[in-house]
Amino acid sequence: MNKLENTAAEERTAFPPPATPKTKKKTSKVERREHIIAFLFILPPIIGFLVFTAISMGFTFVFSFQNYFVRRGESEFVGFQHYISLFSGMFTPGELGNAFIKSVGNTLFLLLSLPVSIALGLLLAGLLRLGDVKGSKVFQVLYYLPAVSSAVALNIVWRYIFQSNGFLNNMLHASTPWLSDDTLIKVAIVIKNSLNAMGGAMILYLAGMLNVPKDLYEASSLDGAGKVRQFFSITLPMITPVTFYLLITGLIGGLQSYADSQVFAKGDSGAATIVFFIWQQRTNGAAGYGIASSASILLSVCIMIITLIQFKVSNKWVYEE
Amino acid sequence: MEKETNIMQSELSIQNDKRETAFKILRICLRVFTYAVIVFGAALLVFPFLWMVLSSFKTGDEATLRFTFFPEVWVFGNYAELFTGTDFPIFKALGNTVLIEVSVIVIGTFVSAMAAFSFAKLKLQHKTFWLLFLMSGMMVPYAALMLPQYRAFDAMKMTDTLWPLILPGFFGNVSMIFFLIQYMRGIPNAYFEAARIDGANHFTCFLTIMFPLIKTAIAAQVIFWFVGIWNDYFAPSLYLTSRDQMTLQVLLGQLNAGTSGKYLPMALAGAVLSSIPMLVIYISCQKFFIESLAISGVKG
Repeated sequence: MNKLENTAAEERTAFPPPATPKTKKKTSKVERREHIIAFLFILPPIIGFLVFTAISMGFTFVFSFQNYFVRRGESEFVGFQHYISLFSGMFTPGELGNAFIKSVGNTLFLLLSLPVSIALGLLLAGLLRLGDVKGSKVFQVLYYLPAVSSAVALNIVWRYIFQSNGFLNNMLHASTPWLSDDTLIKVAIVIKNSLNAMGGAMILYLAGMLNVPKDLYEASSLDGAGKVRQFFSITLPMITPVTFYLLITGLIGGLQSYADSQVFAKGDSGAATIVFFIWQQRTNGAAGYGIASSASILLSVCIMIITLIQFKVSNKWVYEE
Repeated sequence: MEKETNIMQSELSIQNDKRETAFKILRICLRVFTYAVIVFGAALLVFPFLWMVLSSFKTGDEATLRFTFFPEVWVFGNYAELFTGTDFPIFKALGNTVLIEVSVIVIGTFVSAMAAFSFAKLKLQHKTFWLLFLMSGMMVPYAALMLPQYRAFDAMKMTDTLWPLILPGFFGNVSMIFFLIQYMRGIPNAYFEAARIDGANHFTCFLTIMFPLIKTAIAAQVIFWFVGIWNDYFAPSLYLTSRDQMTLQVLLGQLNAGTSGKYLPMALAGAVLSSIPMLVIYISCQKFFIESLAISGVKG
């Protein structure tokens, strides 16, 4: 192979080609310069990706098979042990395994705010659209307010609303232990997150509804369909892309929730999410670091699959023009 | 015959009238219901902010032990203590936050715009490959990266400094790159060809021709980025442990973590203060925020 190339190169030098290929070679030199410059321009993001994403993730993968002794700075290979111990709580009750399973349960429970906020957003958008509400723009701004506000600030004030002698209990003359009961604290977070997320869903649905072709409505009203009927048999199917988008982005965000556990629940185990578990587990002895790594690998695989589904499927089973 | 049809017609019109009034009543009911639901929802969302402001003027005892709607006495001590106290150095936190914002946004934007220019206007080899390469990074959640990154920054003695939050930003922002590629493709090549003939190199083309042309597109992205960094809590809370190094959000978290009720109104005051800049930005660019959100959903 090499020899062939060499001889080819010799041939080229031995018989210099006529004028036209020479100029071609010259432009290719300019072109090659441009190739290099173009590559240099995109080099920083590539380095950033390699260092902060690819290599980091590779290390997480490696760490998930290791015990890590922080003081000595040594590691030992333990195979799939950490992955197994993550799920051990499902079969034999153990403190560690339970903590992971519990955090998965908590995270899934908190995801309930997703369907609730989507339904509320759809309801609000439908009302705004059907009712032809005056000042719809003002309402949009108000409803989206929590989404641009700091999660920490919102968590502080919502915690204050839910606390035992807080606003809610005083208004209802009740003494519901919202923050100290394992289930109620999750319900409280679901309520809070549903309310805070419904505005975004509403705005996306409104935009989706504006995009539905008008002639569909005209045709159906000629056939005698009422506004409500139109909403269910035209608007709703036509805005499935919005629902899909809300579901996927909500899932990706919800699976990584952390501030709810840390700020709202102040680390209460009743609302410890997967990411919270990972960060807590990290310093829990030699195995803790590996267990945290294996949990983050599992979580990441789930999220990557969901993202891939979004990339691939979004224009297949969902209506799009 | 004629009489009969007349009677039928009048009966019909009476029926129609009845039906119309029924419809009218139904429509009015629906209207009332619609407004009631929408106003109630808006009130639910605005209330926490109102409550935050009201309670930030209460004393610690009033806020935690008794229950009042309006403060018995409007106390400004919580704000005063935040401004002058040394326990929770809010100005230091503000400085740290602004330092991250400025360095990440200025350098990150420049790097992103340069990469986008290469993708959109230069003869980059294997364009699709590199685009997908960078895009694959958007799939990976931070949870998969935080442990080794923390360990690496720890080994470099950079934990509890702002570096772990600033350094990754220097390498650009993939979603910004994609946005700018789309935008730059709409700008005619003729601009650059003319400049190239005059002997300008690619970098000059980028800096003196492209950059001024994409200012508005960049401004839009910068607003989002600014709000995102300002409200970011997760990564900063992992890295920053001493109060002098904390960003506003992490310091707020600390204020909240102080379990004694004494700090609660102060935490609320801090929440109010940290929300004000975002509220100002949001209200003044509300149209832009809502339109961009709407576009993101329609595009999927």
